[in-house]
Amino acid sequence: MTKEFICIVCPRGCHVLVDDAGNISGNQCKRGETYVKNEMTNPKRVVTTTVRTVFEEIPRASVKTLEAIPKGLIYQAMDLINQVVITKEMKIGEVVIENILNTGVNVVLTKEIKRKEVK
Amino acid sequence: MLKTFFYSFLIYWKGTDKLYDYIIIGAGVIGSNIARELCRYQTKVLVLDKENDVANVQSLANSAIVHSGHNPEPGSLKARLSVWGNLLYEQMEEELGIPLLKTGAYVVAHNHHEEQELDKLAELARINQVPEFSILNYEEALLDEPNLSKTVTKVLSLPTTKVTYPWEVAFAAMENAIKNGVEFRKNALVTKIRKVGNVFYVTVNNNQEYQSKYLINAAGVASDDIAGMIEKKVPYTIKGRKGEYFVLDKRVKGFVNHVLYPLPTELGKGVLITPQFHGEILLGPNSLEVKDKYHPTTSYEGLTYVKENAALLADNIPINQIIRSFAGIRSTSDYDDFYIKESLEVKGFYHLGGIDSPGLTACFAIAKYLVEEVMNVGEIYSIDPNFDPLRKKKVLFNRLSLTEKKDLLLKEPLYGNIICKCEKITEKEILDAMHGPLGSNTIKGIKKRTRAGAGLCQGGYCEEKIIKMIAKEFNISPLEIAYDKEETKLFVAETKVKP
Amino acid sequence: MIKEIVVIGGGASGLAAAIAAKKKNKDVLLIEREAELGGILNQCIHNGFGLEVFKEEYTGPEYAYKFIEEFNSLDIEYLLNATVIKLDKVDDIFIITLSSEKLGLSEIKAKAVVISSGCYERTRGQITMPGDRPRGVITAGSAQRYLNINGFLVGKKVFILGSGDIGLIMARRMHLEGAEVLGVAEIMPYSNGLNRNIVQCLNDFDIPLYLSHTVTNVESDEFKRLKAITIQEVDSRFNPIKGTEKHFSVDTLLLSIGLIPDITLLDDFDIDVDPKTKSAKINQAYETTVNGLFICGNSLQVHDLVDNVSKESSRAGTSAADYIDGLVTSRQKIKIIPKENILYVAPQYLDFGWSFKELIISFRSSKKLEKAAIKIYQGEKLVYQKRRTFIVPAEMEQVSFPYSELSKDEDLRVELEEL
Ligand SMILES: Cc1cc2nc3c(=O)[nH]c(=O)nc-3n(C[C@H](O)[C@H](O)[C@H](O)COP(=O)(O)OP(=O)(O)OC[C@H]3O[C@@H](n4cnc5c(N)ncnc54)[C@H](O)[C@@H]3O)c2cc1C
Ligand SMILES: Cc1cc2nc3c(=O)[nH]c(=O)nc-3n(C[C@H](O)[C@H](O)[C@H](O)COP(=O)(O)OP(=O)(O)OC[C@H]3O[C@@H](n4cnc5c(N)ncnc54)[C@H](O)[C@@H]3O)c2cc1C
Ligand code: SF4
Repeated sequence: MTKEFICIVCPRGCHVLVDDAGNISGNQCKRGETYVKNEMTNPKRVVTTTVRTVFEEIPRASVKTLEAIPKGLIYQAMDLINQVVITKEMKIGEVVIENILNTGVNVVLTKEIKRKEVK
Repeated sequence: MLKTFFYSFLIYWKGTDKLYDYIIIGAGVIGSNIARELCRYQTKVLVLDKENDVANVQSLANSAIVHSGHNPEPGSLKARLSVWGNLLYEQMEEELGIPLLKTGAYVVAHNHHEEQELDKLAELARINQVPEFSILNYEEALLDEPNLSKTVTKVLSLPTTKVTYPWEVAFAAMENAIKNGVEFRKNALVTKIRKVGNVFYVTVNNNQEYQSKYLINAAGVASDDIAGMIEKKVPYTIKGRKGEYFVLDKRVKGFVNHVLYPLPTELGKGVLITPQFHGEILLGPNSLEVKDKYHPTTSYEGLTYVKENAALLADNIPINQIIRSFAGIRSTSDYDDFYIKESLEVKGFYHLGGIDSPGLTACFAIAKYLVEEVMNVGEIYSIDPNFDPLRKKKVLFNRLSLTEKKDLLLKEPLYGNIICKCEKITEKEILDAMHGPLGSNTIKGIKKRTRAGAGLCQGGYCEEKIIKMIAKEFNISPLEIAYDKEETKLFVAETKVKP
Repeated sequence: MIKEIVVIGGGASGLAAAIAAKKKNKDVLLIEREAELGGILNQCIHNGFGLEVFKEEYTGPEYAYKFIEEFNSLDIEYLLNATVIKLDKVDDIFIITLSSEKLGLSEIKAKAVVISSGCYERTRGQITMPGDRPRGVITAGSAQRYLNINGFLVGKKVFILGSGDIGLIMARRMHLEGAEVLGVAEIMPYSNGLNRNIVQCLNDFDIPLYLSHTVTNVESDEFKRLKAITIQEVDSRFNPIKGTEKHFSVDTLLLSIGLIPDITLLDDFDIDVDPKTKSAKINQAYETTVNGLFICGNSLQVHDLVDNVSKESSRAGTSAADYIDGLVTSRQKIKIIPKENILYVAPQYLDFGWSFKELIISFRSSKKLEKAAIKIYQGEKLVYQKRRTFIVPAEMEQVSFPYSELSKDEDLRVELEEL
């Protein structure tokens, strides 16, 4: 079976084909080949999502994996992140899950959690 | 089809022993006004509607025109009640705070043949006793209507034609009725009617029964089906006629100032251009007979027809300012006129059949006609000395003068917080819409009461804020908030919580 | 008291404009109607922001935070929870009417105004989509806000109309939060979103993209909830092709069918509006045809990259400061006119009263071009040209060149020549 990839390295967006024998075609430059090889052996993605907080004014706060994690772990990562509940004020970049799924990557806040002063 | 709505519910019988004098089925502009008229007498009245709000069917989607009464067949109820109804609007503006925009109307002619038709129409207006009308030539008409199509040769000017805000007509009447003791039950689908002795038993949602001495059928397009629950031979059949529209954003205000009509045909008044009370302009409606009278849908063909025909009335219509399209279904019947009579088969059962256009125009007159001339309520019940006909006009903050605004803000700072940016609706107006005798906790209910979400962005901006306000005011989770009917919840789940 | 510069809107654009003006020592006030600064970035929790400005990839809230920190460090005056409801100009002074719970209605005077009011989403009403009008047809941006800020999911079985980036991003977000995303339909033969988003938001999760397809029917159930949609392939003139109908049972249809600059505040001005950008026409200083009234960010033209918003708005803020400093002289201007294969250009005027060295022109192509030459003519004279590869309407392009040599009498024409 031939697999098709869209190269995202440059705006040209070549449709790159890989056949069963591993032959790569359709890429208009070398970078496309490297990209596709990577995608085939070890695709990685940054996961961005939210976590729950106990604060009424900020019911959810956004988080991300600080680096890309293996694509196959996205769902498991989501399950873990979904269990986090923030209970105190925190700064942008603070870690909410350390070394998620033993990837060596931390999940950090991308939004400051600061309660609004009640006037 | 209606009857199967609630089959899935557990059926249990919650009988009430209360015997109402009148039950009214339907809370459109007709049912609401009948309820209010009945308050003038010492009566116990219940209004039932299947919807989660008043004015949710025909009274929701129409042209909003208070016609002058120039075109119904002379001698018909339609002729008499629309001329009378038009007059009553001026009174109701005072009594009930009904919004009125006094636009006047032009019926246009494009050629010699149409000019002759125009003369005939003017003659009808005279016979129907329309108080003012005149024929103007193109140049005269152009003075007040600069975008009038260059193909127009003459117009029939009808200065008493005006535009109202139909939802507010129903709210005002029902609020005032409730204040005077009427009970209103929404989400109450009438599924069965029987009469035993002198008492009507009206079953709602297949599980609850109400009793009354008289029963009034103001169910709009469903009126023949309702009648069929108790009559063997219903004297009319509703043949739903769909009308489709475009709405132009209020930023086009002033593009036309009058209601512009083509010459009427047997299909009705034709595609119009109608300025609205809040500044938008409607293009439409067409008129198509539909099989499914409960299901207004829009179509490419219908909307294209509207665009093409509107262009015969005015030049350079700013169609790039369209913010919405919608459709409504008229309760047109095979009887030639409004059918407002007592049932021939069942004493005490009253029909309001075939109340299509000009039903909105005539609504106040229809209610008076039914109560005074058809039902002769005054001969059965004595006058209620405590009846209070007055209702305070709603505050439309954005329309006030700067000094009025500033004065109000001193008392009520929440008028300062703009929630709907397009229509400039404030937090206080939305709070008022949630509370009060006819308050609503749905997005659509609040939109109908305040216009929040009715503008350019169609709620894209303010809906979230209104959800938060509803959640807070009624102390419910956003998961429980509905758009309109209870089943139309806004959200299916909260994230990150185990159900 | 009269402010020198009032900036309306505290998103990426307003922040950058205010910062730039303040750095030129101007007395600046920024007005924002929400309870926090940052604008639309607050709900764009995905990454892909800031590669040009910071050479690093941030999420929306992080990108906003960078600017808010700088904004705060400059001690710029600002108001939150205050909506500007009216803007007028009397003689040379702008009168900004704002409404808030705290201040009620108040008027602020300013010598110059920068509009950074962002954009709003095109809704179902603005396209002809036949059928019922049930609950469940929602703009993608609204659904994004409900999901990312409030934590609520609008549906469990979702279809998306329009392949703009917001739609693609929401396909992934809703999928990861447990919804089933059945597909994305795009009426054009190409996607309006970035390839990266096609790959990482659709292909990663096997969500199909139907190009040259549109929604041709919407059905509701008895409660007026969305029940199903029909999509159909369209021909080259966008007419649906019979026999290509596909039905999907869904509870939600997300609309990602375009953004429109919000210029309602300009309603009371007699300004030139560009029907293509749907915003005010400007000169190279981001000044509208009303002197001293500037506009930038998504309220000027809808941007796909926030980096461009920040750069553009910073230039607009600087221009406003120059205007206050009286650096603008004569008002002689020529038009910049979009021609072959160009959808729109901004600025639409070159005003010789402003003394910049470079003229920066943003534009979008009207079709996908593999290889093209951007050519700018004044009369018969070619005054600028450059080759580019892979120009797509979905990505805004920019050129910049010195204009001191140009004639002050003849208009400029911008063309994209296919090679
Ligand atoms: C497209 C269009 C344009 C129009 N334009 C104009 C105009 O410009 N001027 C004008 O004067 N008139 C106009 N009309 C006519 C006008 O809108 C109607 O005459 C008027 O709204 C009728 O009001 P109603 O209360 O009888 O009907 P509706 O508002 O339809 O009320 C009937 C009510 O009965 C309820 N009901 C039905 N079945 C049941 C049941 N089984 N149990 C409980 N409740 C039930 C419904 O929920 C509904 O609320 C127009 C109509 C249409 C459709
Ligand atoms: C959903 C989405 C996804 C995007 N994804 C990316 C991406 O991946 N990468 C990227 O680089 N770019 C992305 N962009 C583009 C970029 O983020 C935006 O173009 C940019 O943030 C717009 O900034 P702005 O300040 O012009 O508008 P906004 O952020 O909308 O700010 C406008 C502000 O003005 C305020 N305002 C408006 N009117 C008034 C008034 N009358 N009174 C007071 N305040 C007012 C509003 O409240 C708002 O805060 C995305 C955009 C969107 C919409
Ligand atoms: S293969 Fe080369 S040319 Fe093609 S998209 Fe990738 S980087 Fe661009």
